[in-house]
Order: sequence, then C-alpha cells, then structure tokens
Amino acid sequence: MDDLLKTPLFEFHTLNKSKLINFAGWSMPFSYEGTLKEHDLVRSEAGFFDVSHMGRIHIDINEINKVNNLICSDLVNLETNKALYTIFTSEMGTALDDVIFWKFDSNLVLICNASNRNKITEHLQNNDISFEDVTLETCLIAIQGPKVIEHFTNFIDIPNKFYCNKNDKYIYARTGYTGEDGLEVMFDNKYLEDFLSILENNNIKPCGLGARDTLRLEASLPLYGFELTDNITPVEANLKWVITNKDKYLGKEIIDNQINTENHKFLKKFLIDSKNIARTGTEVISGDVNGKVTSGNYSPILKKSIGFALFDSKPKTDLIEFDIRGNLVKGEIINKRFLS
Amino acid sequence: MSDKKYLETHEWYSISENIITIGISDFAQSELGDIVFLTFPNIGDEFTKGSPIVEIEATKTVAEAYAPMDCKITEVNNQLDTEPEIVNTDPTGSGWLVKAEIKNIDDTGMSFQEYESFIS
Repeated sequence: MDDLLKTPLFEFHTLNKSKLINFAGWSMPFSYEGTLKEHDLVRSEAGFFDVSHMGRIHIDINEINKVNNLICSDLVNLETNKALYTIFTSEMGTALDDVIFWKFDSNLVLICNASNRNKITEHLQNNDISFEDVTLETCLIAIQGPKVIEHFTNFIDIPNKFYCNKNDKYIYARTGYTGEDGLEVMFDNKYLEDFLSILENNNIKPCGLGARDTLRLEASLPLYGFELTDNITPVEANLKWVITNKDKYLGKEIIDNQINTENHKFLKKFLIDSKNIARTGTEVISGDVNGKVTSGNYSPILKKSIGFALFDSKPKTDLIEFDIRGNLVKGEIINKRFLS
Repeated sequence: MSDKKYLETHEWYSISENIITIGISDFAQSELGDIVFLTFPNIGDEFTKGSPIVEIEATKTVAEAYAPMDCKITEVNNQLDTEPEIVNTDPTGSGWLVKAEIKNIDDTGMSFQEYESFIS
C-alpha cells in the first residue's frame, strides 16, 4: 500500500481504524464501523465520505463552449450556480467518464472519477482547453443524509438542491451520490482541521467506500467502470435524461441513432428474491438475450439482492435467470427506482 | 466440549462426543465484512473433509465454510436466517453455523495460539 496515493485525510482514516483498500491507485477507507452501519447512518441521519481521490479541475468560464463540444449535456445554457451531472463522450458515443460540473460566474469546477483523472486532463489538453488541476491541493468531502442540512445551516449558506455556492473557504454544492440530501464541499488542504472539527462537533461520523457503493446502488446510480465504460454509451446505460446537448458534440450522431432505433445494449436494474447476490460478471439471460451483471449487492433497505445488468439487446422478458456459481437463480428486471 | 480448533480456511470447530460444531473465525468475519445471507445444507446432508458446507454472502464478497472432517449435518443455526449479523458480532459463540455428526474424526486443527500466529 506504500506506493498508493494518499488523501489529506489519510491520517484521520488510520487513526479511526478504517480498513484501507486500493481504490484507483489511492489508499482509501472501505469501512470504519461496518458497511451496513454506515449505510444506515446515511439513510437515517448523516455521515461523511472522504472523496478527495476524485479529480478536481478548474476551467475558466471562457472555455465553456469548447467543453460543451465534449459532453452530452447542455452546460452552456445551464443556470449559473447550478451543478450538472454529465458524461464526456468519445467519437463512438461511449462514456469517457461521468462527471459533475459546478458552474460559477467566472469558472467551472469539474469533478471527475479518480480512475479517469489522467484521461480527462489529456482529453482537455487535446481539445485545447486550459485548466488547472487542483486535486492534490484540495480536499473533497461528501456529507450525506437527511440531517446534513440542519447541521450545516450555521456554517454556510445552503443552496437549493443541485445548486452550488462558494465563500472565502469553501466551494460546495447540494449534491451527492447516495440518494440522500447532502453537500459536497471542496476546500484548500489548510482548512482540513477546521472542517473535521465541524464534523466532529456535529457528531457526523465517517463512512467508507463500501457504504458509498451500497448506497449508490440502492439509489439506482451508475458507477464508472461498471455501468458506464468506454464501451457503453449513455443511451445504453439508461441515462437518456442526461442527453440535453442540442449542439454538435463528440459521438452525437451515434447517440442520436441509438435513441431512435433501440439497436443497442440495455442496462437494467434487477432484484433477486432469494439469498443470492449476483456480483459483477455474473451471466444472466432474459429469454434468449444474454447479459452480464455490472454491479450487484445487498440492499439494506429492501433487504434483498439488487443490481444492474447489461444485456446485449433489449431484454425479452422481465423474468431473468442468473448463473451464480453454477446454480440457476431467478430474478426480475425492475423498471422503476429501487427506492421510491 | 473440546477447545476450539481452527483451520487454515478460517473455520473453527469444537467436538462434543461425536458431534462437531462449526463456525468461522473472528478474523474471517472481519475480512468478509457485513454478512447478509447464509445458505445452509439440509439436515442429513453428508460432507467430506474440505467440501463446502455453508455459503456466506457478505456486502464485500462471498465465501464458503468448509467441512473440517467427514460429517453428517444434524442441526443448522436457524437464528442466522433472520439475524445473519450475529456471525459478525459473535462468530465463535452464538454465531455458530452448523452441528454435525462426525463420520471420520480428524482432529488436526490448529490451537487458537497457532491460528493467531498463522493469520498474523
């Protein structure tokens, strides 16, 4: 683990006896008190995640049109002080990365996946977009849960949901990756102790990447490298709602064609009503349409096994069958969100 | 009841007359993370040493508990159907997995001290 990158919270993680794992080349906490406990904390109260491994890139607002040519959402016409979830697409319409932009008057803050930071910065360079990568000089902490906002009203001006804001210390948005209300806060490394004091004084406990994964899965949110890859388009990943860019952008023709023809792969959510978890790579079949599980785990709220599977074409039936270590296990495609 | 013995595959067992009680070690539950489902064998199923008896699904991964010796299942811990987390909180006590009749005794497991040095 010695050659792994460490976030400014590394000492905090070790002092708090987290189980550390290698995540995208970073030494990151998998859990502190247990994934289910942390999951429940975020669903019922509040918890925080160190997500400082994610890439943080400042881009001058004058570059916005060039950026808009590379993503499938309309960043140009987005209201200022709003956050946007979008996807950098390739010429083939597939996903280079799924990212968040925070749009301010003078600049954009781009938050990309840790595993794709080099890919995205090279992509920006290749497209003659100036940027400043501030990943290593800053922290990013996601505080998530129904009680987060009441804890933070004394410290910052709370934006509306999916809006962003900043003050002299913090740049932040009311966004997250858990399906709960919350904030994602970015700040210079020198303010870390102050910020940790706020969390500690409000008794907001740390949560690890294990809970982050069960929370995002239960919230029906995709994870790059699993539901989205450079072989999967936003249409295939069931993310048509993200495609709002009416202008020309990389891969637009292929994406538009997929929207109109349904001649593509299909990502579907599934539920299994037995004591089996269909994990990544598990083969699944719907009629004669083959698929593979992209992510699968236990849903602590539903108390059932859930996941995503990518089918080679449109599934024939919602009743599906998994091959779990040689056993055929029945499941069902779910066409609404896991949590209502 | 004999002292618990441990296997390299991280099960523990104890023997009382001709009945063996089998569970997983504290180290094993800690490595697995939160246990959410257990799939038990049927009463009367027979297993040879080293064959998988119980499938353990955790949030982090899936694992199996193996038979420490040839045995025939006499009881499974049904409480774990509704409270699988007991394997996390008390793996060597109320989190036992199965009891079985010994068919061919092979009491060659490690003592706790030997197991401790094995995992360290």
